[in-house]
Amino acid sequence: MPAYWTITPQAPGITPGAFALAQADGASYRLELTPHLSMGAHGFARMIAISAAFLALPLLAVLGTPVLWGLLPFAGLALWALWYALTRNAAERGGLREVLSLTREAIEITRTNPHAPVQHWQANPYWVRLTLTNKGAKVENYLTLEGAGRVVELGAFLSPEERATLHDELSRALRHLR
Amino acid sequence: MADAATHDHGHEDTRSFFTRWFMSTNHKDIGILYLFTAGIVGFIAVAFSVYMRMELMEPGVQYMCMEGASFTAQQDCTPNGHIWNVLITAHGILMMFFVLIPALFGGFGNYFMPLQIGAPDMAFPRLNNLSYWLFVAGSALAVASVLSPGGNGQLGSGVGWVLYPPLSTNEAGYSMDLAIFAVHVSGASSILGAINIITTFLNMRAPGMTLFKVPLFAWSVFITAWMILLALPVLAGAITMLLTDRNFGTAFFDPAGGGDPVLYQHILWFFGHPEVYIIILPGFGIISHVIATFSRKPVFGYMPMVWAMIAIAALGFIVWAHHMYTVGMSLTQQTYFMLATMVIAVPTGIKIFSWIATMWRGSVSFETPMLWAFGFLFLFTVGGVTGLVLSQAPIDRVYHDTYYVVAHFHYVMSLGAVFALFAGIYYWMGKMSGRQYPEWAGKLHFWTMFVGANLTFFPQHFLGRQGMPRRYIDYPEAYALWNYVSSIGAFISFASFLFFIGVVFYTLRYGARITEKNYWNEHADTLEWTLPTPPPEHTFEQLPKREDWDKQHAH
Repeated sequence: MPAYWTITPQAPGITPGAFALAQADGASYRLELTPHLSMGAHGFARMIAISAAFLALPLLAVLGTPVLWGLLPFAGLALWALWYALTRNAAERGGLREVLSLTREAIEITRTNPHAPVQHWQANPYWVRLTLTNKGAKVENYLTLEGAGRVVELGAFLSPEERATLHDELSRALRHLR
Repeated sequence: MADAATHDHGHEDTRSFFTRWFMSTNHKDIGILYLFTAGIVGFIAVAFSVYMRMELMEPGVQYMCMEGASFTAQQDCTPNGHIWNVLITAHGILMMFFVLIPALFGGFGNYFMPLQIGAPDMAFPRLNNLSYWLFVAGSALAVASVLSPGGNGQLGSGVGWVLYPPLSTNEAGYSMDLAIFAVHVSGASSILGAINIITTFLNMRAPGMTLFKVPLFAWSVFITAWMILLALPVLAGAITMLLTDRNFGTAFFDPAGGGDPVLYQHILWFFGHPEVYIIILPGFGIISHVIATFSRKPVFGYMPMVWAMIAIAALGFIVWAHHMYTVGMSLTQQTYFMLATMVIAVPTGIKIFSWIATMWRGSVSFETPMLWAFGFLFLFTVGGVTGLVLSQAPIDRVYHDTYYVVAHFHYVMSLGAVFALFAGIYYWMGKMSGRQYPEWAGKLHFWTMFVGANLTFFPQHFLGRQGMPRRYIDYPEAYALWNYVSSIGAFISFASFLFFIGVVFYTLRYGARITEKNYWNEHADTLEWTLPTPPPEHTFEQLPKREDWDKQHAH
């Protein structure tokens, strides 16, 4: 799941999600959610390498003829376009993220959007209500937080299973801080 | 912060007709646009071929006369070979670049690939719109080229779809330049579309859907996109050099200036051979789903199926010179290209036998899509076997540029790819439109097309073996019988195509409404069958559940 917990102070041997072990007083949680990206750096490198190899095949055949200069720009352009599209799309998807920070005093969510202003929400964790809607909602396992007079969604870009896990983890954290 | 509960409303489709169809960035709408546009261009290309079959029906020239082309036989006719050459050129260019790729890759690829991987849309929706309109512009240029001043003081250029120099560089008029631009623009469209599809496939698969859990159709579209990305730039380079040779006095392919026309053939076929796999691969994907659905079994050998497609794609790039055994190559070169070509029969055989194994002890039923898939299986195998015959350099000396070659490539493309296309249309028409075609009409279309297409192309094997050369307007009396039969077949096929157009419009207006999500059976198990019929404007804005796509079988 593209969700990263940071818990401070970190006791030795603690694993993310194991909240019961964190100290209640002065404990702080930080959760970062990003959309799923199905290709990593290795896949990107492999894709570019194989494409470059196959694009080089006809170029090898025309080495030493003027025709090389007719083909080279197009082969280069194609490879550049592939590179640009893959990195740009990854950057756009990485540009969408939700950061939740949680202490005894405040719960705070900052949502960074790729093409829209940053959105912000803050409330007192004591009064916050965390809801996982299984039925009735159009979105399966819809995860919402209610507080400071607003209802906000969390991790709408995750899969339903991931939101259920997130609900369990977050409610444990909230319980622990109360 | 994104306020909650915005997901329950705001999803009604409020776009006007113009906004929806002319400014669309929605992958499903663009897919439908691709299918219809390819259908219109396909009608033009089919009409050309029917006119050619009319001319070939009897020995002598009756229709394409210097006195004017007509649809009735003329008594005093001076043969006009230019019209003939223009028509074979236009038929080839339109079918290769503007019908089969846009329909299979642009149409079904756009519509169903994102759905099958659980993506909300393509990675770059506006780029997708650009690809589509470039395709339309390219088609317009290609048709314009037929009607603008060309060689022999007439309209259009008659150089063959391969545009070999020096014929193409010496052709007068600007018709040839328009044809080159048409291929340029369609190439740009295909490359942009391919990059879009590659990015979508790699970055936007649902969580947990690793590469080897992706449905076979999505795989086939991805591999096709990759082949387009690697092959089309080579073609773009080649025809750009043709253009400068024609207009700016360069001599890339002109021996008088130190160029090499045979090198053009090498480059052209370096693109051209992958091109034929670009056309057929999405068909492989469709056939896998259709056969699995109507055999009520998961497809046999998922992993070999994927690797066979990858192997076919890779091998497709290293066998190009088998199209040009007769241009003069060393014995070693010919031996290599002959052996490499025969190797392709191995992955292709894996696919054919896996499809048969899928049906083995399955509960097979013959709904219309399955009939087309059966037709595909049989006809593609026939075309593949004649392909093996032609791959032999010594035998190719005899068959080169005869009707045997025409029969071979029409069996794999006109029958193979087109039957796969029709299988896909009947398989998904209900999903896309929300209305189902009348079963009897689909079956009638299949049987007339099957009989007509075989009657057209099977006798051409005989003609080729008798030595009838391709690309000629006329022939000696000795070839009259099988040409007559072939033309009858072409008319039957054309009638079935007209009937199909009627079926499509009847279905869209009056077809029985379907509301079930999955109107076939549980073995149609990819993600598009978990959506309402027809799917709403926006799909998978929320990621799909894993159990909706992960069936844990056949891996």
